[in-house]
Amino acid sequence: MNKLSKLAVMILLLALAVSACAPAATPASPTAPPAAEPTDVPVEAAEPFRVAVVTPSANNDLAFSQSIHDAIVLVQAAMGGPENMQYVISESMFVVDDAGAAIRDYASQGYDLVIAHGSQYGGVLQEIAPDFPDISFAWGTTVDTFGIPNVFAYEARSEEGGYVNGIIAAALTESNVVGVVGPIETGDAKLYVDGFVAGVNAGNADAQVNANWIGSFGDVALASEAAQTHVGAGADVMAGTAQMVVGAIGVAKDNGILWLGTQASQTALAPEIVVVNQIYDWSGIILEIIDLIGQGTLGGQSFEITLENGGLYMEYNPDFDLPADVRALADETVQGIIDGSINVLP
Amino acid sequence: MCGIIKRFPGVLANDCVDFAVHQGEVHALLGENGAGKSTLMKVLYGLYRPDDGEILLNGEPVQITSPTDAIRFGIGMIHQHFMLVPSLTVAENVALGLPSSRGVITDLDRVSKRITELGKTYGLQVDPRARVWQLSVGQQQRVEIIKALYRGAELLILDEPTAVLTPQEVAEFFQILRQMVKEGHSVIFISHKLQEVLDISDRVTVLRDGAVVGSRLKGTMTKAELARMMVGRDVGFQRNRAPVTPGEVRLSLHDVWARSDRGTDALQGVSLEVRAGEILGLAGVSGNGQRELAQVINGLRPVARGHVQLEGKDTTGVSPVELIAQGLAYIPEERMRDGMIRDFSVAENLILREHATAPFARRGFLDFKAIARVAAGHIVDFNVKTPSQETLAKNLSGGNIQKVILARELSREPRVIVAAQPTRGLDIGATIYVHERLLDERSRSLREEKRHGAAILLISEDLDEILALSDRIAVIYEGRIMDIVPSEEATPERLGLLMAGVTKEV
Amino acid sequence: MIESLFTAQVLLGILTSGIRLATPYLYAGIGETFGQRSGVLNLGVEGQMLLGAFAAFYAVRQTGNLWLGLLAAILVGGLMGLAMAFVSVTLRAKQGISGIGFFLFGLGMSDLLFQTLLGTVQTVSGFRPLAIPLLSRIPVLGPVFFNQSFLVYAAYLLVPIANYVMNHTTLGLKIRAVGENPEAADSLGVSVSRVRYFTVTLGGVFSGLAGASLSIALLNVFQQGMTSGLGFIAVALVYFGGWRVWGVLAGSLLFSMVNALQLWVQVLGLPIPSEFAVMMPYVLTIVALVVAVQRVRPPTALTKPFVREG
Ligand SMILES: Nc1ncnc2c1ncn2[C@@H]1O[C@H](COP(=O)(O)OP(=O)(O)OP(=O)(O)O)[C@@H](O)[C@H]1O
Ligand SMILES: [Mg+2]
Repeated sequence: MNKLSKLAVMILLLALAVSACAPAATPASPTAPPAAEPTDVPVEAAEPFRVAVVTPSANNDLAFSQSIHDAIVLVQAAMGGPENMQYVISESMFVVDDAGAAIRDYASQGYDLVIAHGSQYGGVLQEIAPDFPDISFAWGTTVDTFGIPNVFAYEARSEEGGYVNGIIAAALTESNVVGVVGPIETGDAKLYVDGFVAGVNAGNADAQVNANWIGSFGDVALASEAAQTHVGAGADVMAGTAQMVVGAIGVAKDNGILWLGTQASQTALAPEIVVVNQIYDWSGIILEIIDLIGQGTLGGQSFEITLENGGLYMEYNPDFDLPADVRALADETVQGIIDGSINVLP
Repeated sequence: MCGIIKRFPGVLANDCVDFAVHQGEVHALLGENGAGKSTLMKVLYGLYRPDDGEILLNGEPVQITSPTDAIRFGIGMIHQHFMLVPSLTVAENVALGLPSSRGVITDLDRVSKRITELGKTYGLQVDPRARVWQLSVGQQQRVEIIKALYRGAELLILDEPTAVLTPQEVAEFFQILRQMVKEGHSVIFISHKLQEVLDISDRVTVLRDGAVVGSRLKGTMTKAELARMMVGRDVGFQRNRAPVTPGEVRLSLHDVWARSDRGTDALQGVSLEVRAGEILGLAGVSGNGQRELAQVINGLRPVARGHVQLEGKDTTGVSPVELIAQGLAYIPEERMRDGMIRDFSVAENLILREHATAPFARRGFLDFKAIARVAAGHIVDFNVKTPSQETLAKNLSGGNIQKVILARELSREPRVIVAAQPTRGLDIGATIYVHERLLDERSRSLREEKRHGAAILLISEDLDEILALSDRIAVIYEGRIMDIVPSEEATPERLGLLMAGVTKEV
Repeated sequence: MIESLFTAQVLLGILTSGIRLATPYLYAGIGETFGQRSGVLNLGVEGQMLLGAFAAFYAVRQTGNLWLGLLAAILVGGLMGLAMAFVSVTLRAKQGISGIGFFLFGLGMSDLLFQTLLGTVQTVSGFRPLAIPLLSRIPVLGPVFFNQSFLVYAAYLLVPIANYVMNHTTLGLKIRAVGENPEAADSLGVSVSRVRYFTVTLGGVFSGLAGASLSIALLNVFQQGMTSGLGFIAVALVYFGGWRVWGVLAGSLLFSMVNALQLWVQVLGLPIPSEFAVMMPYVLTIVALVVAVQRVRPPTALTKPFVREG
């Protein structure tokens, strides 16, 4: 009997081990696409710069977590590959306590920069960072560094691309009904949806924009039904943010409804209906942060990616035949936001 | 069965037992609580694997490793503790594990018909559609018997079947046994009631401490001799009921109505009074409201109408916890289910009621030394046969489980005791001890000046027990009190008539 | 404003969404009901669903054959169930904690397989809605009820079948007996472990199908952790349903319909904050449990391993 229960415990531990190891610390692919912007970051040849990232979802979620992963891969290439910069990622850390453990782990292993990619990690970071004054931490998306000298903050002005997508949606809708699906009404998602709603309203006074929040970042089935609700309400253009929207994109595809993406390129999922994606490119600010660390500044500043600094940009689906006037309108809007003539969320 | 040896941790339950049953005989197995009777029978039924020994069937050695084997060899067993699924119907319990005439689909209508037929033939009436949890203990016993008969058992093992039956039911039950024996069936019969054993058995084997003490044939044995063989000394059969002047009314019921689990009126205007220093016997055939009455008094069943008073205070609808605090003790009928926690140790079960108070607990912590000391006392007083205090209650023999509950309930010097079938399943020695204890509780006032003895409501289907202990005897029939008679005026005949619902006038 | 909810368009929308959303709950909940009625609590449903969803998705992705996808889900779910049965019945491990172990295993394993075999979120063409001739032409309700995918129909067909098996077959009788009083069943020659092995494995098969209903019928994608707690809700719905198959149906529909309703409440712009709207299905299900459903006792032997002493 005792032996049996021991065996059971062992099996259990094995299961735990598999599940704990699998998503964690997957070494990032060394073959990276060419860097977006060439830079001249000083690199000490002796020791590689070491970066660790903790994300709430998977690094290929076509959304939030993928955006940071892609950025670091770019940075790595820009710095001359894995010899000069080492990178590990712990993904799918949707349990904040697990994420906290991972962050503390990386810090005590002496990583030069530990990135906590998720606003929900703020609490644990606030506890951990003061224990490692020599390590630099970055967390997003937020503007708050807690006044801790070794914490950087970064944020995306996702409402900017949201607004552009809203303008495009307003121009493309024929039924004058537009739908948008969000996870939980806070943070980055709320900014994006607010920008999108403002864009639709600014672009077409007759158009109605319906929003619904499903209360979860992961419930693909509910996101799919949220999209069905928009279809039922007559929408012919839809948008959505966070990783569970893959469910909504499927519904859009089945119903021939146009889709406007954000956070990462969602074109591959449904090339026939994806019009455009607002892409997050964090590589610029990551390089800036690494630069600062090289100069001895470990934190205390906050960054944002915007259309202006190129951290946000609109990537059009080449296979989608977007009318030229709509494209021109969208480009104008981007320009207007950059030069300040358009105030997205007054 | 030859040279059967069965060990449990700390106990040698069967010590090289030889035991043989002839075709067409009733063979009684006798022994004190914990002597190893049930263990031996469970070995025969394939529930336990013996550590050594051999089972021969019609001269051939057979391997019985599971109940399936036993059933295939035509062995049926009625367990001391019912093996029924309470949430299922009678028919479902009978059909369980049997192939159906309709393949994978159940044929409960046919099973029900057959049950009714069996019931008619053997006088075992029971509604096949009733759910078992709604049945009284006596009715559940019938279901168990039907289960075995339905499977066409050749050899029927009956572990204390009569413990739960009324005298009339026992007589009917013996009729069934004789009928079965006539048809060539064999019966192994376990009982603590020596008179029954003498009445029905062709042969008796006595076990003590796991070993066979001896065997006797019908006509060559007496009660006293059997008792001596079991206990190892002479035992008396007389009780001394000292005269006591009853004190104030401790427990009273006024026109109490209550519903049974099935929604029928189980109690229909019951009024009773029990005084300090008095034992009121409640006689009646099982299923006439005794169970509901006990539950109503103990706050375990809502009262539909009427009042229950404890020492003059209205306790209708008061929680069991408060009732315990007011000095009420309850020995429930279904002790296996209501009276103890199977997976707790003997010691833990012994202090279950008072575990939260001194001396067992101090500031929320259990004081294990105090618990062990008190538990040890109870174990000696009530002669509980257990390998240790730490043994889990479920591993005790049937009778010893009863003793644990009795020890717990009686050791608190309660002011009112409700005892339902307190000696069911107890061996002679223990029965005598319990009777003496109940009489002691009643007459405590004689020893301690200021205090009166307890008021005791004794619910029993054993008329001998009722007659031996009670000061007054109430008879319950279909939820009504037929009559209350002083024990001096009571005779078994008179009580028997009342129990059948016949009043004097008729 | 509230009257905007009571238009045909909205009510039909809620009905259609609710029917689809309930599908995975039905599979997983009915499977779990079998396990629990026999006395085994399986908290690993979520993990079984995830692996089933992945297996179905990957098989369809590789072969293009939907039936092979179903088969893969059944096999993988069944294997997971078998493993759970081994741990809980043969090894008699604590059921709660081993169920959580299997959940984590399914979560991690499906993630690992996804990373190595697929690498990125992809789509397949899964079971298409299948209009049932004639019935689907019934005005208004026809398209709602009779234009669904095969796996949705199968889930609802499963309800009466499972109920029949549970209450009218010798197997169902054994399952109920084993969950209430295994000693009694054992004494009548019913093999407690065989029955439990069967129910827990069957539960795994159904959980696998629940996953497949998402990945190759309703959503046609696979994403890590895509079940997002559905499996745990399915376990809760078994309690809600009082361990009855019909109760599980009622609970699944109630939960799913209210979820569909709250999505509409938001779309129609009713003045209810989204934080409250998303809580509606949980709150209403709990309220229904407290108010309407009379308390039913769980199977007596639930979570208790069976040991024949001696
Ligand atoms: N499963 C078990 N584990 C450990 N000890 C056991 C177990 N079953 C029985 N025993 C012990 O074996 C001894 C014989 O028990 P058994 O049940 O056979 O007695 P019995 O003769 O039937 O007594 P009773 O008249 O009280 O029913 C007892 O001391 C009991 O404590
Ligand atoms: Mg016994």
